[in-house]
Amino acid sequence: MKVNQFLLFFFFSTVFFGPIAAQNAETLLQNMDVLIAAPKDKDANVLMIIKDKNGIVKEREAVLKQKGKYKKLYRYTKPEKQAGIATLSLPDNVIWLYMPAFGKAIRISLLSKSQAFNGTDFSQEDMSGIPYSDRYEPSLISDPNDENYQLELSPKSKKSKYAKIILTMDKTHYYPVKMEYYNKGDKLIKIANFKYQKQGAYWFAKEVMMTTVLKEHSTTIVLSDVKFDQGLSDTLFTIENLKQEE
Amino acid sequence: MFNLSLLSKNILANRWLIIVLVLVGTLFFGNELKKLEIDADIVRSLPDDDADAKLLKKIGENFGSNNMGVIILETDNIYQPVVIEHIQLITNTLTEIDGISSVSSLTNIINIKGSEYGIEIGKLVDEYELPKTAEAFEKLRTNILNNPMYKGSIVSEDETASLIVFNIENDGNVNQIAKEVINKTTALQVPEKLYYIGSPMLVTYISDLMRKDLTTLLPIAFLVIAIVLLLSFRSLSGVILPLLIAVISIVWSLGTMAFLGIKMSMISNNIPIILLAIGSAYTIHVINRVNKVRLEQEPAAIQKALTFVLIPVILAALTTIIGFVSFIFGSYLEMIVDFGIFTALGTLFACLLSIFFVPAILRVFRSKNKAITIPTEHSFLNRYLLSPLYRLIARQPKTVLMVWVLLMSFSVVHLFSIKRSVDIQEYFKKDNPTRLAEQIMVEKFGGTKPIFVYFKGNMQSPAVLKKMLETSAYMEQSPDVYTSMSIAKLIDEINYNFTNSKTFPQQIEQIEQLWFLLDGNEVLPRFVNEELTEGIIISKFKSPDNTSKKEFARYMNRFIAENATEDCQIQITGMPFVDITMDQSLINSQMGSIAIAIFFVIVLVGAILRSLKNGFLAAIPIIATMVLLFGFMGLTGISLNIATVLVASVALGIGIDYAIHIIAHFKSSLKKNNDVYKAVKESIFVSGKAIIINVISVAAGFLVLLLSDMVPLQYFGLLIALSMISSCLGALTLLPSLLILINKKNSHYES
Repeated sequence: MKVNQFLLFFFFSTVFFGPIAAQNAETLLQNMDVLIAAPKDKDANVLMIIKDKNGIVKEREAVLKQKGKYKKLYRYTKPEKQAGIATLSLPDNVIWLYMPAFGKAIRISLLSKSQAFNGTDFSQEDMSGIPYSDRYEPSLISDPNDENYQLELSPKSKKSKYAKIILTMDKTHYYPVKMEYYNKGDKLIKIANFKYQKQGAYWFAKEVMMTTVLKEHSTTIVLSDVKFDQGLSDTLFTIENLKQEE
Repeated sequence: MFNLSLLSKNILANRWLIIVLVLVGTLFFGNELKKLEIDADIVRSLPDDDADAKLLKKIGENFGSNNMGVIILETDNIYQPVVIEHIQLITNTLTEIDGISSVSSLTNIINIKGSEYGIEIGKLVDEYELPKTAEAFEKLRTNILNNPMYKGSIVSEDETASLIVFNIENDGNVNQIAKEVINKTTALQVPEKLYYIGSPMLVTYISDLMRKDLTTLLPIAFLVIAIVLLLSFRSLSGVILPLLIAVISIVWSLGTMAFLGIKMSMISNNIPIILLAIGSAYTIHVINRVNKVRLEQEPAAIQKALTFVLIPVILAALTTIIGFVSFIFGSYLEMIVDFGIFTALGTLFACLLSIFFVPAILRVFRSKNKAITIPTEHSFLNRYLLSPLYRLIARQPKTVLMVWVLLMSFSVVHLFSIKRSVDIQEYFKKDNPTRLAEQIMVEKFGGTKPIFVYFKGNMQSPAVLKKMLETSAYMEQSPDVYTSMSIAKLIDEINYNFTNSKTFPQQIEQIEQLWFLLDGNEVLPRFVNEELTEGIIISKFKSPDNTSKKEFARYMNRFIAENATEDCQIQITGMPFVDITMDQSLINSQMGSIAIAIFFVIVLVGAILRSLKNGFLAAIPIIATMVLLFGFMGLTGISLNIATVLVASVALGIGIDYAIHIIAHFKSSLKKNNDVYKAVKESIFVSGKAIIINVISVAAGFLVLLLSDMVPLQYFGLLIALSMISSCLGALTLLPSLLILINKKNSHYES
């Protein structure tokens, strides 16, 4: 009986395949989180290229030191006027800003996650080190025959600027290839394109380009001289060190 | 002198060529009309040779200040959950509109404040958890009151109004975006009252009014003039041909505007109605003369009539053109110059069409033409108006003269109480939402007229920034300046939060590093240029009063003279400064255009009538009209503004024709009969009748402007109509009385 066969197929596909697909999506996202957070620490030079609608380009350079997911130290080297400024990100959204001209560090509390970070196209939400699988509910939307996985990420918290993110993931290594950010009006607002490369045991985003669609504004972050697992000390990520390491 | 007879003959010989050329021209310009754009932006019409206007335009372009729109949300109390929700709803709606680069409101504005452990950078209101409790609102109120940045920009002091400010991208389609803003926010149907203001909204609103005026008033004026012509000539062709010529003249002059890429302004919006009212007159003269001659001597009637009528028609058109062209000299606003040029061009087209195209048409369709003349049986006019009028003038010319002298003396007294107004808000009727919005802005947010203090120097230099702060503080001492904003204030605020000290940073390095917190901020391009070599203080001026503006200009210029240096150059501009120059230009432009028009009219009329005395005589009724016009304006409080400043010269150009007709008629009759009274009688009964019909037709056309949505245009229409009536009365009473008094030794009045 064709109808019965169909109902049987429907039953199995929803009861069994459904959770499998969900589990797959979750696993895939977790795999991506694992890949992103794999190095114990990271030391790199960061170049930020900020380009506006009229093609005006501004560049910033910094030295990045990162330990684990949440400890990040950026010390700016360019533009020269801002050389020496440093930001230290610690767990629980704690950020310290050090300005050498004042010789003091001050704690900054970034209350709004949707706010653009320092003139770039990245918001606090985008830059957060919190694993994607902790923040988003994934569902697999790509066809098995597609070149890459495609996941739809729905934020778990209502305090997200995004209604969904369409994540394109490399099928072999689980690194992100592209992320499309949609607002609550289901309008595409930002696109991130990632260029991952492997160094030693780790895959890392050599280049990320975030474009704000409506404003035709983009920020490209390029990493160079990347070193992993250098055994960076915790003392590097202290306020005292912010002042000393000028 | 060229041979008029030969010219008339050639016109008729080439009638088909003329008809084809007119058709081709009309098709061409008609097609061009599609490109005609409306531009209601007064700032763009400011002249580049005026330093204040030039700087204002430069600031508008470089700092995007022309692209800022504002929605005022008014309710009984802003601090209510539902009101905050609606502000957020409107903010989000605006953010979604393509072409809007940034939106700033109570629900998304960035808040930087010091706390016991550092700086908090966040939003004034948590966008995901809007305040709901009394405590939350009290906290929000305190935050707003304690932050000088929010003074006069977010919530009014009486807490009944809040602003949602948005910026349109430099290359955005202002009209389209402004309309989308209105449509989408109106569709939200929030219970609070919404008002729209700011340059993009105002320009779009005026453009809509202009379109509405054009599409509704023009057909009405057309109909009114058609009815007057029909009643006067009692012939369909006496209606069709004059109106056809007026319409072709309109198409040609507006088509030329479009062809040259000149946009329609709120002044040139009047051109069609003016051309409709005056453009038909020349055709009437031609047809009238052709038919008069035709009745007497067919078949060469048209050629013969043309020979007679060419000079009077050209003369009438030339005087009108002089009236319009006089605006080119001494006008401050480019839109007035454009108006002068294209109305003069339209008048020229109407004149040329009347002497080339009309005879050609009459020749081609001559058999079908019913004779069109002013019916002689206008017994009503004769019995009740012209006869008593003639008797009065003939019997008591001195009394008539005395009445005029008294009227003029009375007017002269009121002439000095004429008010001037350059306030764009006076364009709108009192209950207009834009005017109400302006009122709220003045009462609750410190005004709308922008003031910009422009600084040239290193925008990260402590000396320059401190000078900016000093300038702001000095400015805010003026009773008309509520608040001001600049990069220096932003840096000062961030420095205070960073160092917890009120001392402004002393070193350039400190400012350069504080800039790190501002980099990429959307407000930055509003205050400094990309190279950080130029910056502005933005403020608003409260009073619409011109004396206050002048006083403020003196107050600020004194400060600038004492404080500007080579490394910190300071200039000030803004609408109050432009208003001062525009106000002065109203007088200069008025005096200049009248003087030019009167001079050329006297010379021209004197030359054509071959007597300078006659030139002066022809000018007397129109000069009397000018005096009465200004006296009336002084008495009724109708202000001299960018629209009413046009009245005198336009009225002069049109009204002089009546005096010319009377003098020309009088001269020829006196020559023939050598009797002053007979000459005056003939002039009044023959030319007077035509003048009255012309005045009724032209005045009726202009009175249609009373239906306009723009107040100055209503006054413009009313004043022109009154001037026409006054010129007509002057030509029919004052001028004949003078003619009798000057020439009466030759004759005696016989009743």
